[in-house]
Amino acid sequence: MVINVGPQHPSTHGVLRLILTLDGEQILACEPVIGYLHRGLEKMMERRPYRHNIPFTDRLDYLAALSNNLAICQCIERLGGVEVPERAQYIRVLLMELQRIASHLVFLGTFGTDLGATTMFLYAFREREMVLDLLEECTGARLTYNWVRVGGVPDDLPEGFGQKVLDFVKLFRQRIEEYDMLLTRNRIFRSRTQGIGVIPKETALAYGCSGPVARASGIPYDIRKVAPYEVYNRVEFDVPVFEDGDVWARYLVRMEELRQSLRIIEQVLRDMPDGPVQTKLPKIFKPPAGIAYSRVESPRGELSFMMVSDGGANPVRVHIRAPSFVNLSVLPRLLEGAKVADLVAILGSIDVVLGEIDR
Amino acid sequence: MSRQRAMRDTEYNPLVYFIDGLVTLFNGMVVTWRNLWRPKITVRYPYQRRPVPPRYRGLFYLKWNEEKQRLNCVGCTLCAQACPTDVISMVKLGKGTHAGVSEFTMDLGRCMFCNLCVEACPFDAIYMGPNYELASERRDVSLFRIADLAQGGEEAVRKNIETIERLLAEEEKAKPAHAAHAAGGQSE
Repeated sequence: MVINVGPQHPSTHGVLRLILTLDGEQILACEPVIGYLHRGLEKMMERRPYRHNIPFTDRLDYLAALSNNLAICQCIERLGGVEVPERAQYIRVLLMELQRIASHLVFLGTFGTDLGATTMFLYAFREREMVLDLLEECTGARLTYNWVRVGGVPDDLPEGFGQKVLDFVKLFRQRIEEYDMLLTRNRIFRSRTQGIGVIPKETALAYGCSGPVARASGIPYDIRKVAPYEVYNRVEFDVPVFEDGDVWARYLVRMEELRQSLRIIEQVLRDMPDGPVQTKLPKIFKPPAGIAYSRVESPRGELSFMMVSDGGANPVRVHIRAPSFVNLSVLPRLLEGAKVADLVAILGSIDVVLGEIDR
Repeated sequence: MSRQRAMRDTEYNPLVYFIDGLVTLFNGMVVTWRNLWRPKITVRYPYQRRPVPPRYRGLFYLKWNEEKQRLNCVGCTLCAQACPTDVISMVKLGKGTHAGVSEFTMDLGRCMFCNLCVEACPFDAIYMGPNYELASERRDVSLFRIADLAQGGEEAVRKNIETIERLLAEEEKAKPAHAAHAAGGQSE
């Protein structure tokens, strides 16, 4: 039997359509159909000056807009050889980690709902709202922040922002314990996630998985450690790596990343120097001809931008490597032989964002 | 990097699983009980509103300069050039030191509220305010004209044009005399 899951389905987290070939409860084959959200962003970017493209990246991975902003700005900075002031780098790292917490909280909430734990959704979104309030105070927007510029960040942190973040960190440490009580120690949750949707290390490598999906399969690969950008080489944090590669391991990786993000935030706030937050650049920014590539560890994995310049005001070619797109490609392989009931758990554990996949 | 094996359960044992299930239930109740006594976080939106932070990026406004009795905008179109989606168009009024705008239109149906125009403005003329209730069922409502955007509305626009035209006229009056004087000086 062939059935469609999506494009409109609450557990596909967007407009993703999965064509499933079933034999009773077993999935024989799965074909993801993407492109419902295609806006041609790469082409749009080739038509606009470099700095006009930053707000468009908010619409890629809309749950982690700041990571996308950072990735494109780093790429343009490399293209033009722009230096970033030290304080701006610290602010960037601080905002990135807040963004990672917000994004992982969406994962936690929706993953809980997918598996029937609706309470988790309410609690995770309550805490996410706190992060969004912090980001709103700093950037002025709640989802499409657009708060990284070529050569720094547009403005300094608002008055008393550091203390508010520290208060949140203190509170959130306790709340993570509650999440552990609700989900990690939950009998039903454990039974539904352990040993399900196993990605062996070789498969993860072959498909080019990155981020929590790769780390749950035993690949110690985190751009923040492998190729540190901004000030990630100055902060101390662990990268959780699990050997098992199942849904449970992917969940645990993200839970541990929440804790590590809090550690990074504390260190960044402690070490943040004073100084300017933006480098002065000419009104019309024309980087020299060349090619630049930048990569960033977004909450979903390795996000990278490639830009080609011919010395003009617009980029000639822009390419985006979206982590969700690459991670989703492993799904058909994962779902072969799985049960229909596990589909939602497996798809949820990969944590895809369709805005990024379709671009 | 810390490498570890995930905590894993033993093989299925009905008794262990039953006890574990009871513990799960107890844990869930503990969390629920704790949350029962926490303050409510729900905001009943149309009746209650959250305070909006000062940096909030909502509906635009053109700043009114009380001292000069005009809008700060000089019609330099830097904001229009900084806009990735061509939201802004304007009609310039006069030129030189007293230049201003007689019309300033923003098609907010296309706007991304990205703040780039605000950052581009060298005259502190355009800002984003706290108003976020911009949804509408009609398309033409998304077009905001100068009277909708200027601080002080119609009245401000009228005064703005008045002030600028007066200054321009004064300048015009001063100019021919000066030019004639200069020309006269040359001929002599």
